[in-house]
Amino acid sequence: MKPIVELMDVVKEFPLGKVTVRALRGVSLQIGRGEFVAIAGPSGSGKTTLLNQVGCVDTPTRGTVRIDGQSTSELAESALTKLRLHKLGFIFQTFNLVPVLDLAQNVELPLLLKGGLTRGERDRRVREIVDQVGLTEQLGQRPNELSGGQRQRVAIARALVTGPNIVLADEPTANLDSATGEQILDLMERLNRDQETTFIFSTHDSRVMAHARRLVTLVDGKISSDEATEAAA
Amino acid sequence: MSGFARLQLLVYMALRSLWAHKVKSLIVGSLIGFGTMLFVLGTALLDSIEGAIERSVVHSLSGHLQVYSADGKDELAIFGDMTMGGADWGRIDDFAVIDEVISKVDNVEAVVPMGINTAYMTRGSDLERTLGRMREMVRAGQVADARALVPKVKRLVGLLDADLRNQLVIAGEDSAAELKEKLARAERAASDALWATFDSEPLSVLEFLDTRVAPLAGEGRVMFIRYVGTDLGRFAEHFDRLKVVRGEMVPDGRRGILINQKYADRVLKIAAARLLDDLAEAREASIPIEGTAELAAKARRLKTQGGAIELMLDPDDAEALALKLATLLGVETERNGEALDLGVLLELFLTVDDDNAIARHAFFYEQVAPLVDVYPFSVGDVVTIRAWTRNNALKAVNVRVWGTFVFEGLERSELTGAANLLDLMTFRELYGQMTATDRAELEAIRDEVGVEFVGRDNAEDALFGGGDSVEIDIGADDDFDAVAEADLKREKRTMAVSEEFDAEMNRKGLVLNAAIMLEDGDRIAESKAAIAAAAEAAGLKLKVVDWQEASGVLGQLALVVRVILYIAIFIIFAVALVIINNSMLMATMERVREIGTLRAIGAQRGFVMAMFLLETLVLGLIAGGLGALAGAGIVIWLGNVGIPAQNEIMVFIFSGNRLFPTVGAEHLGLGVIIILIVSLVSTWYPARMATRVEPIEAMRGAD
Ligand SMILES: Nc1ncnc2c1ncn2[C@@H]1O[C@H](COP(=O)(O)OP(=O)(O)OP(=O)(O)O)[C@@H](O)[C@H]1O
Ligand SMILES: [Mg+2]
Repeated sequence: MKPIVELMDVVKEFPLGKVTVRALRGVSLQIGRGEFVAIAGPSGSGKTTLLNQVGCVDTPTRGTVRIDGQSTSELAESALTKLRLHKLGFIFQTFNLVPVLDLAQNVELPLLLKGGLTRGERDRRVREIVDQVGLTEQLGQRPNELSGGQRQRVAIARALVTGPNIVLADEPTANLDSATGEQILDLMERLNRDQETTFIFSTHDSRVMAHARRLVTLVDGKISSDEATEAAA
Repeated sequence: MSGFARLQLLVYMALRSLWAHKVKSLIVGSLIGFGTMLFVLGTALLDSIEGAIERSVVHSLSGHLQVYSADGKDELAIFGDMTMGGADWGRIDDFAVIDEVISKVDNVEAVVPMGINTAYMTRGSDLERTLGRMREMVRAGQVADARALVPKVKRLVGLLDADLRNQLVIAGEDSAAELKEKLARAERAASDALWATFDSEPLSVLEFLDTRVAPLAGEGRVMFIRYVGTDLGRFAEHFDRLKVVRGEMVPDGRRGILINQKYADRVLKIAAARLLDDLAEAREASIPIEGTAELAAKARRLKTQGGAIELMLDPDDAEALALKLATLLGVETERNGEALDLGVLLELFLTVDDDNAIARHAFFYEQVAPLVDVYPFSVGDVVTIRAWTRNNALKAVNVRVWGTFVFEGLERSELTGAANLLDLMTFRELYGQMTATDRAELEAIRDEVGVEFVGRDNAEDALFGGGDSVEIDIGADDDFDAVAEADLKREKRTMAVSEEFDAEMNRKGLVLNAAIMLEDGDRIAESKAAIAAAAEAAGLKLKVVDWQEASGVLGQLALVVRVILYIAIFIIFAVALVIINNSMLMATMERVREIGTLRAIGAQRGFVMAMFLLETLVLGLIAGGLGALAGAGIVIWLGNVGIPAQNEIMVFIFSGNRLFPTVGAEHLGLGVIIILIVSLVSTWYPARMATRVEPIEAMRGAD
């Protein structure tokens, strides 16, 4: 089966004045449908940079990134945006909900951007996914009325509501206490299993890594190890 | 379906965001609201005023359009300009030709010929007029009545005598002899020897006084007059604001002048009456006389007007009036055995203060006015109008005053009040066109003065000046015999006044301009072009202007106010623009992560753009909408109560004593369009900046 994410010799350099920061120094990686992958590595090793390439919010300096067979460097800005809308979901470290919208509206937002659904269909999808993240009670509340863990669950619901192929999460638990972080990981795992959505997340936390079925470790912009974990067994 | 839902969401987000920044929204909203209110109020008022000015201008004098010769150097100014009648508007040699061409153009209701000029008008001196009345009495066999006026004549002659003596004191050697001769005539007029023959030969006494003495008094009062020479019948038919208030319309085919009632009241009336009018009017409006410098000055002037009134009174009337005044003022008619002087009583009577102004005004019109000539002439009188012809000769024509008129609704306006209406034949004559009367007169001059030959070619020169062989000098003294002059004058005047003409004569011939009335006044621009084209096709060199252009400074008045309003609105919106622009730029910077997130989860740049534009637009429409409604509300309220015209110019501008403004959909519509433009322009740059925010901004840590 074709991999849903395919990186070939990806190099990402940031020109910084006279010097050039080489954040990724030739990364090749294939991720299949439904995988649950953690990206680990020390600070500055290039985890975020790697996820940005996969997330189509950035394109590589050299090398190729293919999402569902489509090379991202060949796409124009608007096509990349469309790709993100249709195939990707994002979970941010800082949750990034729209403050003026309530929970339901935040979750509905990607559906509205996508278009083509009736109000009833949208409502049904929103309820369904909000129910899955366990926030039905809080449906009409605004982000600042929710706890960090609740906010991140809203973000997860927002990422999943369009039924994306891949969900990307850069340190989704970094701003949460460990217990809440555990709950979020459990939720992600469950959704991964139920919906067969590919999850790729980065983390520093070894307890979080333990949830992953595959662990890719970056050191200095290169993959130092790529292995199946015990959870995979 | 979801496109609409997306818009709903954007509007919702805009509202939430505005609510989240209440203070900022309030400030920007007030600016937009105030600007829009001002816009709706201002444009509605201006349009109403323009409509009113149009009604004033179009239906009083200008018509919808005016045509005049393309040869004119100056621009037509129907209501006068700074040149005091010296403007060069060229001339149209034959009105019939342009009438023919223009009448056929679609939408043209009528073409009214015109010629505007400034001249001066005289009526005989008091002496001349008193003598005239006496002559009529004698001819009617009422010699006793005529004799009653003798003391008055003596008094007037006495004044003349005194005047000549004064002149003699300051006169040089060369004029002294002449003055002495005149003085001799005046003294003879005052002598008992002359009056002793009055009973037996009244007419010859009067003849002597009329021809030898009256001319010494000069021309009497000189009044500037501005007139519109026109086909009076046609004018009355198409300018429906014209209403004759005293006397009658000049009959078709007759010469004559209609005096504007406003001009009569403001300019022609004797000073005492005018001053009393002003003071009483001020008191009616509860304006204090003492505290108001202008009124106090008028009151002081009024006190000195007794002499002028006294001079006009017949002896019997004078006595009766003295009694009435004494009763009114509560003073004894006799003091120390001597009858109280009428002059003293009049001065007391004309001493007006805050308390008695209105009563004195009423008493004046009830008791004094009927005894004197409040106006320098009455309806039916003949006046002499003098104008400089185009050859710079002074031309005098006698013309009968048939009546006075007002432009209905504009009675108080001095602008329309400045125009008097004269028949076209007389206008042409004063302008310097040769008429049948002129030719007859030329013959007369030739016979009288004995010029051997006045050829056809130099006839006009001879008549209007320019040649040295013949000159008609109207002054009181001249080289040829005064009797001959007086006779000549009389003959000329009779001819001019009694001459009749037919409509065709009126139509054929010189005019300066012509007013065009349209059937549909909303199609001015279209008809203007059509008339210009028709004139061009007919080979006529004409300028066609609309009423606004034709009314000179006045037409531009509304334009000036409009420009000021637009500048004020522009400044308000420019300030709003800068404030909105700044605050939205700040918002863009504050919301970088939010924008990045939206972009990351799949919002296109257009969505972000719309998000920002809508935020301002929603604010603009709410605040602007409220402002527009407030503006419309004020206009509607004003439309009900009316805005009173504070002064005479405003009566003209308001086309009546009150302006009832109206507001239309176009004012609100334009207001909305302006809000749209301001919102879009002010937010365009910040919104563009927002679209440049990269989705990667969403990924940056919480720093
Ligand atoms: N936009 C950028 N401009 C310049 N340098 C950058 C930029 N983004 C990342 N880098 C550099 O690239 C390297 C990799 O950074 P990256 O953020 O991917 O590391 P990371 O593994 O996510 O680290 P952390 O665990 O601290 O989040 C670092 O040295 C960083 O300084
Ligand atoms: Mg990182």
